[in-house]
Amino acid sequence: MTLLDVRDLSVRYEPKASRPLDAVQEVSFAIEPGEFVGLIGESGSGKTTLGTALLRLLQRPGRISGGSITFDGTDITALHEDDLRSLRWRDVSTVFQSSMNSLNPVVRVEAQFRDAIEHHSSLRGEAVTRRVRELFDMVIIDPKFMTAFPHELSGGMRQRVNLALALALDPKFILLDEPTTGLDVVVQHSILENVRRLQSEQGFAVLFISHDIGTVLDLSDRILVMYAGRIVEDQSAGALLREPLHPYTKGLLGSYGDPRAETVKITYVPGRPPDLSLDIVGCSFAPRCPERIDLCLEKTPPLEPLNGGRAACHVAALQRRDGGAERFGEPKRGFVGPQFVKTGDESRSALTNEVVLSVEHVSKVFERRRGFTVTRTEAVSDVSFELRRGEVTALVGQSGSGKSTLAKMITGVESPSQGRIVFHGPQGDKLVSGFKGRALRDYRSDVQMVFQDPYSSINPAKRLGYVLSRPLANYQGLRGEQLRERVLELLERVALTPADRFVNRYGYELSGGQRQRVIIAKALAVQPDIIVADEPISSLDVSIRAEVLELLSDLVKESDVGILYITHDLLSARMLSDEVIVLNGGKVVEHGPTLDVIRDPQDDYTRTLLEAIPNPF
Amino acid sequence: MTYVARKFGFFIATLWAVVTLNFLIPRLQPGDPAEIMVKRLAGKDAALDPAQVKAMRAMLGAPDGSLWNQYVTYLGELVHGNFGLSYTYYPYSVTEVIGQAFWWTVVLVVFTQVVSFVVGVVLGAYAAWRRNSRLDSVVTLGSTFLGTLQPFWIGLLLLYVFGYTVGWFPTSGGYEEATPGFNWPFIQEAVSHSFLPALALLIVTPIGWILGMRNTMIMNLGEDYIRLAKAKGLPDRHVALKYAARNALLPSVTGFALALGGVLGGAILVETVFDYPGLGRLMGEAVENKDYPLLQTLMLLTTAGVLVANLAADLLYGVLDPRARRAEG
Repeated sequence: MTLLDVRDLSVRYEPKASRPLDAVQEVSFAIEPGEFVGLIGESGSGKTTLGTALLRLLQRPGRISGGSITFDGTDITALHEDDLRSLRWRDVSTVFQSSMNSLNPVVRVEAQFRDAIEHHSSLRGEAVTRRVRELFDMVIIDPKFMTAFPHELSGGMRQRVNLALALALDPKFILLDEPTTGLDVVVQHSILENVRRLQSEQGFAVLFISHDIGTVLDLSDRILVMYAGRIVEDQSAGALLREPLHPYTKGLLGSYGDPRAETVKITYVPGRPPDLSLDIVGCSFAPRCPERIDLCLEKTPPLEPLNGGRAACHVAALQRRDGGAERFGEPKRGFVGPQFVKTGDESRSALTNEVVLSVEHVSKVFERRRGFTVTRTEAVSDVSFELRRGEVTALVGQSGSGKSTLAKMITGVESPSQGRIVFHGPQGDKLVSGFKGRALRDYRSDVQMVFQDPYSSINPAKRLGYVLSRPLANYQGLRGEQLRERVLELLERVALTPADRFVNRYGYELSGGQRQRVIIAKALAVQPDIIVADEPISSLDVSIRAEVLELLSDLVKESDVGILYITHDLLSARMLSDEVIVLNGGKVVEHGPTLDVIRDPQDDYTRTLLEAIPNPF
Repeated sequence: MTYVARKFGFFIATLWAVVTLNFLIPRLQPGDPAEIMVKRLAGKDAALDPAQVKAMRAMLGAPDGSLWNQYVTYLGELVHGNFGLSYTYYPYSVTEVIGQAFWWTVVLVVFTQVVSFVVGVVLGAYAAWRRNSRLDSVVTLGSTFLGTLQPFWIGLLLLYVFGYTVGWFPTSGGYEEATPGFNWPFIQEAVSHSFLPALALLIVTPIGWILGMRNTMIMNLGEDYIRLAKAKGLPDRHVALKYAARNALLPSVTGFALALGGVLGGAILVETVFDYPGLGRLMGEAVENKDYPLLQTLMLLTTAGVLVANLAADLLYGVLDPRARRAEG
């Protein structure tokens, strides 16, 4: 019997101050007992809302506005909270997205297992403790942490505890909502391994919500793809990989490639998802779709059985009809939109350009003083490398590897404890060492930064023209017509065209990729010699990451700026950089031309990072 | 342990700074208190007689010698609990004057603060849990309205209605014929005299706690651990108390400890309205009469009260919130 049966489920948000919004629209799917189903979608696709609705945890102004949810034969769509309660956790449990906050901060971990266990079972006292210890063993955590407070656990441990908590009562169904987002790649990997093993041992069904198609493909039996509140594709993992039906799925798959290949191509989906509070005529993906036909703009495609799965795409359906291939072309496996290609030859370009910054045997020791005790932490230890004009050096490492500290020293915010950093500028050499005030300001016209989060680094109250004119006025003293021309030039340079239309727009009107372009334009404004880009794509949706990588790559080709690209993702390092430095525990564990490092990794850590890259091909 | 030691260290250092400032500030002011006293007694225009001034100085025990010597003497006197003589209640010492008023205030204000806190926190938590219900609207709107009123004004109203018009309660003082002490007639009189001032305070003081608790709790209700607690299928009561209220209480507890520290300043206006023999009224008198020794001691007492309360709040927070212990400890 079907464990979870969802029919035509719709969720509507009706905020008092703005237009109502249908976050989930007529979604239907079923999950069998013991089945592992993945749900992929990018930010704003409605996947988390769908998950919350399944748990009946929607809060005002959100509500289920149509359809039904049947769990194990019981219709729970409108079931009273009191009746629902006996079902909760015993049959249906969950691990939330930001599990950093999902444990009560003032209560010891064991007590948070105890209340759930005692409420739903007859276990009491010592028996509960034994059960918790057993659960801790399952998720491979030392049982001594049972008496810890949540803040005493690391992020990865907290997530394991949450997983153990979800398993506490042997539920039939677990909803995993981005359970490893925000954790370090290596930790993610081991937690997901753990999930997979426990699922095959215990046979609970899973709905695994994620934006990361790679992990979903790895773990799931079947995959649902969600876009703009609707399920657009439903196929078994193997079929989806072999023959994706919906162009959006193709776009997601195309965002990945094998970094070891001679030529790597990654695609991106231009544009942004639609505003769900507006009426959409036709297919909601049509404006971004390269395979679009006229019908797509007129009629919303229904989710229909196709190729053993289901898809909501006119083109895919028409192509697969009898004689359809002649009229509508052969089905395409890849995304036929814009792509960013990097050949092996490009990656092998000799590192011969002029050195613009040299890092010589640099170490950084942080001292924390408390009372009479001083704790020393060596964040960076004896690191040497060079940045060259017109080339990109990737600094790869997980959180805590010292890459941010190194970036701070290079940008002149911190000074090295040992060794030296020399900037070889047009006005001669300059020793970089913890600048302050005016010196730091001057140095900013040599070295600029691009940060991780484009959503918070543009002043939302100002037009783009103003945002870009500030650094120009401040550093180059441009005024009036000259200033305006230069602003337009910058916008053109980062491909925000036509520039005179973007000048008067606000940051929040742009897509994530466009915002990051603005940030890059801002960094370029002062004509720096070096740009330090700290994870510039990691907060962007996967389908638009290549857009920003391509821009950075073009910049380097066209100008003589040197880029230090900080990342934890070796695929993007391959696409962008000429040279890779892998940092672990503050030390350089690997250093060499990008292709060499990626094809023949010497260090265990580099290998783990490589394994963590989803490879759908 | 280091957490506790650090907090104590800060406490001692701040207390020392307060005591020293309390010593320095009056001495940095221009004018000689003895001269001012003589002028006040003899009239503004009277010529100063050096003999009178000297006599006054002797009477007040005004200090002489270098500033350092004075400071050492001052600290010595403080340790012995000797704060000098009150000008207003001469020849009683400040210690005696304050000692009499102290318990009146402590009983009245501590009682009303504790009751206000409990009522406020419970109502606030309930209003937050049943957000947008009728009770929530009544509590929130009522609080906003009553919050604009001042306790002394409510006191005047109460005094007029229950003191004069109906005559159920006495209108001033703390007791009448009974001998102060632990005996039934005195307690009866004290309670009936304290009833109206307590009521005046009780109408207004819970409001801060209600609104504060409601806001923090509503914020906490959006946290993931509340969502998870609901997903766990725990009974509402359990989620509301053990998860939501337990966390929302943290800032209120600190606020409460600080409010108790402020108690020593007394409720000046309310005590004045009811002519209640507490520290607040005493402070009013001290200001009016330029009674420096009394005023200075009351100030010292108030600041020391706040400091002790602060320390208590910090220590309590360390117990209630395990995160504080590590973050600062």
